Order: sequence, then C-alpha cells, then structure tokens
Amino acid sequence: MTLKLYGRLQSTNTQRVILILKEKKIPYELVEVEFGQNNQPERLQFQPFAEIPYIDDDGFILYESRAIARYLVAAYPEHGPTLVPPPSVGVKAQALFEQALSVEAFNFYPTVSSILMERLLKPFIGQTPDEAEIATLTEKLDTRLAGYERVLSKSKYLAGDEVTLADLFHIPLLTLFGLGQIDAFTNDEKVKKWPSVARWANELVQRGSVQS
Amino acid sequence: MATLKLYGVSTATCTRRVATVLHELKVPFELVEVPYKNGEIKTPEFLKFQPFGQVPYLDDNGFILYESRAICRYVAAKYASSALLPTEHQANALFEQAASIEFANFEPSASKAGLQLYMSKQGQPCDENVVKEQLAVLEKKLEAYELILSRQRYLAGETLTLADLFHLPYAAYVTYGGSDIMTRRPNVARWFNELISRPAWLAYQDGVKTTTVY
Repeated sequence: MTLKLYGRLQSTNTQRVILILKEKKIPYELVEVEFGQNNQPERLQFQPFAEIPYIDDDGFILYESRAIARYLVAAYPEHGPTLVPPPSVGVKAQALFEQALSVEAFNFYPTVSSILMERLLKPFIGQTPDEAEIATLTEKLDTRLAGYERVLSKSKYLAGDEVTLADLFHIPLLTLFGLGQIDAFTNDEKVKKWPSVARWANELVQRGSVQS
Repeated sequence: MATLKLYGVSTATCTRRVATVLHELKVPFELVEVPYKNGEIKTPEFLKFQPFGQVPYLDDNGFILYESRAICRYVAAKYASSALLPTEHQANALFEQAASIEFANFEPSASKAGLQLYMSKQGQPCDENVVKEQLAVLEKKLEAYELILSRQRYLAGETLTLADLFHLPYAAYVTYGGSDIMTRRPNVARWFNELISRPAWLAYQDGVKTTTVY
C-alpha cells in the first residue's frame, strides 16, 4: 500500500517530509488536509496536537516531520542518498549528527519561524507585524549564524563532509527567507560575516528535490 | 580513561538535563563549572569548544559534544544496556516522535513561561504577559499530552525513554515558579509526578555536582 502523507503543500512541516520523500524517491500519496480541518475527531485520533503532517505507512501512524523523516530514511536505506551516518561509523559520528540535528531544532528553527510568523502569518490573519520583536529576533539570528559560520567554515555540512537530514531540515524555512524579508544571505555586509553559511544555504535550496 | 567532564552551570536547566541522564545511567562524571556572568562563554577560547556560546558541553576524553539532548543520546547509546533509547525500527520511530513532541510542543512555551516564573521566584523582574501567554499555549498542548498518556504510560510507549526525561527541567521550573499546570490533568500528573520523584532528578536539587560514586 502506498504511503499516505496527510498535510498541506503550503505547510513548511509538510514540505520537510515531501523533501525527504523526493530525496529518497519514495512513492507517496498526499492527502490534502484543508486549513482549519486539523482538529476533526477522525484526525485527532491520529495526531492529538491537531497538527499536520502525519503519515500512514500501511497502518503505522507517525507524526512530527523530523521523526517521519528519520523513519523514512531508516525504512529505505537503499533508495537515494543515505542522509544519516551509517551504523558502521560508531557512536561518536552518530553523536555529531545528533548535535547537528539539535542545532537546527534549537538554534535555527525557533528564531526563524518566529520571524516568519511576524512577517507572513500575522498579515495573513489581519494582524500587524511587531517590528521591535522582529529586530530582537533578527539580532538573535545573526548571533546564531555566527555560530553556524564557526562550524561550516570547518566542514562542508553540519555533521561533516556529507549532507544529512540535519542540513536538509533547514530547507523549508530557508526557502521563505525572500518572502519573509530575512536578508541574512542577500545583504552583502551580512554575507561577509558568514560566507560559508551563505554558500551552504544557497546550495541547499538549489537541490533537485527542492526545485522540482 | 579519564572521567567524563560536563562543562556547564550547576543551576542551569540544560546542564541538569544531562546530569539527570548521566545519573539514570550511573555514569560517573565531573562537573566543571563554567563562569558566564562576564561574557566568558562568548570568548574565542570558549567558542572553540561550543561555537554558539552556550552551555553545556561534554568532554569525553577529548571528544567534544554540545547540545544537551545530543549529549544525552550519546551517553544512552554508549551505555547500550539502557532502554532509554529504543533501537527496534517502530519503537525507535515512536521514540523520535516523542522526542520531537518535546522539542516542538513543550519546550517553546514551557521554557518561556518557566524562565519568567523562575526569575520571579528568585525575586527578579518577571514579565507577567509572557507567563500568561505561554501558559495558555502550554495548556492546549497538555490536552494532547493527556490524550496520549491516557493510552500509554510514557510518551513513547510503555517504557521510560529520554523523551520523557527531556521534559524535566522546564516542567520543574514552571512548577517551582508556582503554576499547577503539570498536575491539573490526571494522566499528565501521574507521568509528571513519577518523573519528578526519580532519584536521578532529585539528586541535583541543590545544583548539579561531580558524581563519581553511585
């Protein structure tokens, strides 16, 4: 039975899963969940937080986009790029991969998604973006990007020389930097401070799985 | 083979998150208290070890690792006798789902509310609006937790995993700061009370300290 992905194309969390499905060339069927329909009882039994996406893999239900991505990569090791360190590399390499995943989750995602909520979600629901808050968040993001530079000036990707899920997880929000007026990688003065990060970010959004 | 060194702040949430897991697994460690009040963790010397200028980080005989949850995962994987990180395919997926729930659905609001409430309890200025707003967010999230925990004992299934333990620092801050949000629902209360009574958590009530004997 083809894997079913319950979500919405406009949702960055759904996009995160679609990205991995494309990278791994895994067949799937997207079941569109309309905006505002997450908390229907028949959905809550599968996803108790009334969020999307979630998958149904032949009766096995899983939610949280990053957990789904890990599951897919483990389930299809022979398809496409490995995207995770192979078991043979040992606990230390595995730990550096987990470190990189944690960096995305705690040092990138919360700050960037907050900025995007101000710039994109608020106008959508008729509210005014809080510019002071955006300024504070941007300063925080700049500090974090300086951290990323320290890492990416020494290795090609976040967990080493091969691309992994830790890098790919950034893509959905990176693709919204333009629309969200985040100039971290378009402002020349800023790019001078983190050239390796800019290189890495631009390369990620150019991946075939993103462009298709 | 030298003892693991945990570089952190004895009263900090993330340092305690790691210490709790080390204690659960009975792994000896030395706490190296890192000064931070005068910008010490933003110096080039420190940034060489932790490029984001944050604590904690681990030094395992020269192997440096940061991000508290990554450190916890490393320790659990290294001491493979622990069930804290299931490896079987579906059990692992459900564990990762639970770990992601903590990151996405608990930490954001619990940490923001928890930090303010903690500061208030310490007699420092606290932003009441943030507390109110974030507790309202957390309230809704805990409805889902109640649903999950009414069906199974822990977040990933019937056994305790790292995902449950990850919640402790901010769940405790919120509670210590005076909110009863963690005990308003029967199953969340059952789960929270069990976690908060674990010896590994209680061991560092007065701050994380070097632990070489268990």
